[in-house]
Amino acid sequence: MVKDLVILKNITKAYQTGKVIYPVLNGIDLEVKEGDFLAIMGASGSGKSTLLNIIGLLDKPDSGEYFFDGQEVSKLNKKESAYIRNRKIGFVFQAFHLVPWATALENVLLPLLYKDEEITNEDKEKALELLKRLGLEKRINAKPSELSGGEQQRVAIARALINNPRLLLADEPTGNLDSQTTQEVMSIFKELNEKGLTVIIVTHDPEVAKFAKRIKLIKDGVFIKQ
Amino acid sequence: MLIKYKLLWGGLFYKKLRLLLSVIGIIIGVSSLLLMNAFGEAAKIKTLKEIETFGPEIIMVVAGSVRVHGGRAIQTEITTTLKPSDAEALRKIKDIKYLSPVFNGDGVVRYLGNTLTTIINGVNEEYLLLRKFPLLEGRNFLIDEILGYKKVTILGYKVKRELFGEKNAIGEVIRINKLPFRVIGVIGPVGIDASNVDQDDQVLIPWTVAISALYNVDYIRSIYLSVEDISQISAIKERINEILVKRHQVSEKNKDFDIVKAEDILEVKTQTTDLFSNLIKSISILALLTGSIGVTAIMTLSVNERKKEIGIRKSLGAKDKELLFQFLIESVIITITGGLIGIFIGLFSSFILLPLFKYPLVFPWFPILTSAFLTIIFGILAGIYPAYKATKIDPIVLLR
Ligand SMILES: Nc1ncnc2c1ncn2[C@@H]1O[C@H](COP(=O)(O)OP(=O)(O)OP(=O)(O)O)[C@@H](O)[C@H]1O
Ligand SMILES: [Mg+2]
Repeated sequence: MVKDLVILKNITKAYQTGKVIYPVLNGIDLEVKEGDFLAIMGASGSGKSTLLNIIGLLDKPDSGEYFFDGQEVSKLNKKESAYIRNRKIGFVFQAFHLVPWATALENVLLPLLYKDEEITNEDKEKALELLKRLGLEKRINAKPSELSGGEQQRVAIARALINNPRLLLADEPTGNLDSQTTQEVMSIFKELNEKGLTVIIVTHDPEVAKFAKRIKLIKDGVFIKQ
Repeated sequence: MLIKYKLLWGGLFYKKLRLLLSVIGIIIGVSSLLLMNAFGEAAKIKTLKEIETFGPEIIMVVAGSVRVHGGRAIQTEITTTLKPSDAEALRKIKDIKYLSPVFNGDGVVRYLGNTLTTIINGVNEEYLLLRKFPLLEGRNFLIDEILGYKKVTILGYKVKRELFGEKNAIGEVIRINKLPFRVIGVIGPVGIDASNVDQDDQVLIPWTVAISALYNVDYIRSIYLSVEDISQISAIKERINEILVKRHQVSEKNKDFDIVKAEDILEVKTQTTDLFSNLIKSISILALLTGSIGVTAIMTLSVNERKKEIGIRKSLGAKDKELLFQFLIESVIITITGGLIGIFIGLFSSFILLPLFKYPLVFPWFPILTSAFLTIIFGILAGIYPAYKATKIDPIVLLR
């Protein structure tokens, strides 16, 4: 039997601006098994990113339960969340979010800085191997500003993978890319998933969602029953 | 190994102008602090040096009344009631080491074609010893020359230079207010004393000659005394007062003389230097504050600019503590670099400016250390506070 990696039970989240409260998530239930590839779709402002941030422990739900890798994590403190983010979750963002002054290689190594272990030569080898696998062997010492969007996103993917995460999260990873690069980047996700990595992506684009094994639609803060 | 530090602090050199500005802020703070303290310290030492030439063991009896003003004893009223016999009478006080009647006036001094106006100081053979003036050449007055109305003179250092240059002066005859005087000695450089008189710009002659042949009066202007034992100085001052009040038959309230100790001059003088150094302290604290406000502003800017980086690092699992440490070290590097350069510039400019203003060269280590310490503290606070604020922000907000 395949293990559940993510279990969300009746997750709610609301944002408050001044005195007005905007409910965003109104009771999200979700199960993601190991090896799954899920695409979350929905209109702009429907709460996709909010949900992904909660799954990635970057944000906290207002209520509900969240089991990640068998552990209830919805009430962890900042430090404990940071630990899990660092060891078990890889993030890929629409805007790449690379550190501008660091080279491609340094950006890939960055998560190791927060692992309480020295960065070894093997780590470096591994980073180089990842960059090579993603077709960046010639761009190792380039700064983000010297890289194309697709290259930047591939660096970001390599960075997300450096700690062998259990779960890869991607929030509109192709939102800033042209259609050809989109295909390339999505093939990478697909390949990673085929090698066993659990992937959850958020997207507007049905072409992108096609790469996933299953798609869930969010509306009015809940998943639409299919 | 090295990659770790690159990953932590590589960002420091990313925006070079920003780095430069923050370092300059610190440099200005530290160097101005240092320079001002060097000036304050130098002023203090200058005063102390002046007081040295007017030793604490010296008492001055001045005819008329004296006001101590701005570190100078100024004769505000001149009387003719202080007589040579008063000086003789004071000799009876025990514990007096040296005593000299003094009559001083302006005079024209001339040697061959060189003429200059200087102070003519009529004194006795004890005066040089009393004032601890070093003899550069020649000899002191003999008691017989004083009592025998001999026209001999000892030249101040500058007067000798101006009249004779490098040439020998001893044995030469100069004219003081047209009367011929034989030079018997030259005083070494002394400088300005606590009474603000340039002791190098004077000539000494026997007081007997001064009041008779030169100025034709029967009084003297002051009596200088020095005591054996400084602890006795107040008692002796009291004793002098008693004797003179009695001799002049005046009441305590309308005395026709004044007694001044070096200490009295010192008191006022240190008051003024204290005021000066307090002023300097306030200004330098202001300078430091301006510097650190600058650094705080730039650091805040820098952290704001790097909010995204903080967000990225957080999303990758950086703990608040680790981010604080990163920015702490960044500001420590900036402040220490700026601090060291500031110390260097401060020392260098005091090295140049102090002699320019005729101040002694001093290196005030205490202010150097305090200012270095303070800037580092300020710099750290300036760097850590905005970073601390940034870590409180949600990473998703930072990354938006
Ligand atoms: N920190 C916040 N404070 C207040 N409101 C927020 C905050 N974050 C998100 N929101 C609001 O919550 C709603 C959902 O935002 P979210 O970013 O999850 O939408 P999304 O589905 O990802 O949209 P998009 O497709 O445009 O990225 C939006 O209306 C947004 O304005
Ligand atoms: Mg979104």
